[in-house]
Amino acid sequence: MSIATAAPELGVKTRIEYDDAPVRQFMIASIGWGIIGMLVGVLIATQMGVWQANFKTSWLTFGRLRPLHTNAVIFAFVGNMMFAGIYYSTQRLVKARTASRLLSQIHFWGWQAIIVAAVITLPLGLTRGKEYAELIWPIDIAVALIWVIFAVNFFWTLARRNEPSLYVAIWFYIATIITVAMLYIINHLSIPTSWTHSYPIFGGVQDALVQWWYGHNAVAFFLTTPILGIMYYFLPKAAERPVYSYRLSIVHFWSLVFIYIWAGPHHLLNTSLPGWLQSLGMVFSLMLWAPSWGGMLNGLLTLRGAWDKLRTDPVLKFFAAGITFYGMATLEGPLLSIKSVNAFSHYTDWGIAHVHGAALGWNGFMAAGMFYWLAPRLWGRRLHSVAAANMHFWLGTVGILIYTAAMYVSGITQGIMLGATKEAGTVLSYPNFLDAVTSTRILMHLRALGGLMYLAGFIILAWNIWRTARGAQAVNGSIEVYVPEKPATMGLGGGFFNAPVIYTTLLLVFLSGWAALPTLPSGLSIVGLVATAMAMSMHKEFTKTSWSAWYERLLENALPFTALTTVAVFIGGLVQIIPTVMISTANNVEGMRQIPYTPLELAGRDIYIREGCYNCHSQQIRTLVGDVLRYGDYSKLGESIYDHPFQWGSKRTGPDLAREGGKYPNSWHFFHMRDPRQISPGSTMPDYPWLFRDKTEIAALPNKLAVQRRIGVPYKMMTDAEIQEACATQAGLIADDLKNAGAEVPPEREIIALISYLQKLGKSEKVTPIESMQAAAK
Amino acid sequence: MLNPTEPVITRREPDPVKPVSEEDSLRPHIYDGIQEYDKRLPRWWLYTLYGTIVFAGLYWAYYQAYQFGVAPEHALKMEMAANADTAARKSGNLDDDLLWKMSVDAKVLAAGKVTFETTCASCHKPDLTGMIGPNLVDREWIHGGYPMDAMKTITEGVLAKGMPAWGPLLGKQKISEVAAYIFSHHKTGEQIVPVAGWTMPGAVPAP
Repeated sequence: MSIATAAPELGVKTRIEYDDAPVRQFMIASIGWGIIGMLVGVLIATQMGVWQANFKTSWLTFGRLRPLHTNAVIFAFVGNMMFAGIYYSTQRLVKARTASRLLSQIHFWGWQAIIVAAVITLPLGLTRGKEYAELIWPIDIAVALIWVIFAVNFFWTLARRNEPSLYVAIWFYIATIITVAMLYIINHLSIPTSWTHSYPIFGGVQDALVQWWYGHNAVAFFLTTPILGIMYYFLPKAAERPVYSYRLSIVHFWSLVFIYIWAGPHHLLNTSLPGWLQSLGMVFSLMLWAPSWGGMLNGLLTLRGAWDKLRTDPVLKFFAAGITFYGMATLEGPLLSIKSVNAFSHYTDWGIAHVHGAALGWNGFMAAGMFYWLAPRLWGRRLHSVAAANMHFWLGTVGILIYTAAMYVSGITQGIMLGATKEAGTVLSYPNFLDAVTSTRILMHLRALGGLMYLAGFIILAWNIWRTARGAQAVNGSIEVYVPEKPATMGLGGGFFNAPVIYTTLLLVFLSGWAALPTLPSGLSIVGLVATAMAMSMHKEFTKTSWSAWYERLLENALPFTALTTVAVFIGGLVQIIPTVMISTANNVEGMRQIPYTPLELAGRDIYIREGCYNCHSQQIRTLVGDVLRYGDYSKLGESIYDHPFQWGSKRTGPDLAREGGKYPNSWHFFHMRDPRQISPGSTMPDYPWLFRDKTEIAALPNKLAVQRRIGVPYKMMTDAEIQEACATQAGLIADDLKNAGAEVPPEREIIALISYLQKLGKSEKVTPIESMQAAAK
Repeated sequence: MLNPTEPVITRREPDPVKPVSEEDSLRPHIYDGIQEYDKRLPRWWLYTLYGTIVFAGLYWAYYQAYQFGVAPEHALKMEMAANADTAARKSGNLDDDLLWKMSVDAKVLAAGKVTFETTCASCHKPDLTGMIGPNLVDREWIHGGYPMDAMKTITEGVLAKGMPAWGPLLGKQKISEVAAYIFSHHKTGEQIVPVAGWTMPGAVPAP
């Protein structure tokens, strides 16, 4: 920095050169990882229709590659894209160079190292067994650390800003950084059993709730809020038009971050999750519709007066289409959260259509638009080929339409076939699960084709940007600014103790009092609610104070702004998670309590998780006629309380396994795992030859059992020898039984442990209310 | 450290847009060239927001706060009980005679064969001679050798031996067709040999 001139009334004039090198790095990384993530996506899409594409190879099977696909596109593709956008726009919006080059570099290389670690560990089957939270614990710690480094660099830059007021994009970045840290840390709390394995501290319904609180808000605060921030910077820049409405920005920002965090339970509708949480998840998802559309409106209406530019400018084409896909996905989301719609759509390909409409349409297209806008500015050259960018747009759009159309048709077919009943609702119309698999096979091929087209578009982007940058001099932006006088500061107290915040808090307190408390205090809460509303309007009437003036002041104070955002996102999490964690699970089991796994069964369960079986098989029978007829009585709260992690699943490519135990003989599973099509003609499940070759890892069990005990599973103390003895006995019995059935395999092989686990599924004991009260008293 | 050359491509900053009406008032603040209108919230958007909030309150009041609505697990039980009632009233009575008659009815057998091949053949083999599950064409029977015995075994399963309960999956009609199909391989009055169990062909007996 150099001081050029001094203008006393304006402060000191300084020239600032922005640090755009990290932007280039993150952008290139995003494109590279994006192509790899999408390539894996095309492969696993192919596997859904062609089982041979699993190549009978452990590290190429669907169950192991699907986590690689989701992690790569979320954390590597969108993650790096988000960082590029944030590093570029934040510097310009606050008129300050990124605070620390060192921190940017640690952030960049650390993040890439994490991704490389994920690419190695996930295909090896090293996983935590929770969707989008699969990475093993040492990598989780690295993610948290790197995220904190990113946060420090970001807030440090804000602290050094030469633009007192925070623009709406920055609000969204703040919400992203705070909330992702909170979600990620809580959902990854685990106790290690080795350097590569751990058990989550939450189990059963608690784990389900924490997982989907995280899973849903990973969508919200990793795939949505940062991209909205990026939209608020890059869209008006590209369109050269003012943002449509500042007021809409305020209302939709605060309502979005406050409401989003509550909506997680909509992933668990009609399950054994307590009813009040299901209702909360549903109504908050519905209330999310308007706040989400606020963002869409502010995006699309900013294009007013610039629509003619869409014909020539690929950047605006991508942005307009991306925002449109965002609008469709955020209307569909609340729709899918209605319990009765969800009963039909959940566990089917409808969910796949929904997320890919959003991921390919919103995230992928916003990324493409941003990259095409940035590349010429970062390398000081015209974009190599506008025609190629347009071709990318059309390939991508048609690809998305083919992909989602195939998945909608397939999802609706599955929903109809798997839920249909006859004979007055006492018999399934399609008792064979495979009927739904074989009827949708052609759609799986179509989906792979759509995905391939989308990938081809992205490869064109990579080529186009490479040609733009090749041989060009990297260019960093710069600006002359007057360093302003220090703005009037507002302390933390100023953020909280003021009319708007106090009234809002009171309204929320009374509203929750009405919703959660018993009759009398509930009634009093209504009185309080009305009184607060009246006081608020009278206060505004008499004092003639303008709340917008207070908000303008808040925008000049990053600390109280961040604190308020943090509180807004914390409330929903606290209200849902604390009661669920506090309520002792031992006495709250709906009359059924799971029988803990034997050591061999636990080893089998870890194999089940390693192979990623949960990616295709649920373990949760919902309170729906179709589910109960097909799989047995609906799942009770207590039947999975010792499951760390829970395995309720989110998609049924194959049937539910909650009550699989005892349904078929051991030999059925033996032949089925060796060649699923021998038992189930038409099945798309991979063969698992290595389970018949590899030995079960018994040596790790003492540690695993000790950790299970620590997290609350009632295992009695066993010596290492006793554990080995127990495993050998149980494995021997299964091996003998298999031998009798003509299926010979040594008892120490993994298939035996897996069969022992599968035969245990659904085994629980009845608990009388008195017993559960006694258990609670202990 | 300073870069004297401006980026080649950067478009010039847009001229500040002039407001055309009160409604179009622009905020005074400009961020890196980005301006903001301060337009009123679209009415329909605001009503959507309010509407969903009101719906949330009503829904909560109905299902949670005052519990007028039936909890899902109770709704399920009621629905299934009602369904079973209706189905019981509609269905006729089966007996061995009727099943034997069905076992020579070509239409019934065709339907039974289809169900057998998709549901039963993976364990009992398509020719019914048994693999994981027992042979169904010999005269040895483990759980009774009359057609109604087979109806019971198929409907309720023999869970201890790995035979699933097919009642809720197939329903009475399909099960009767399957039973008829099985007994089309037998004759009325044929000798029944009760046995204790089934050993898979080629299997070595346990030591």
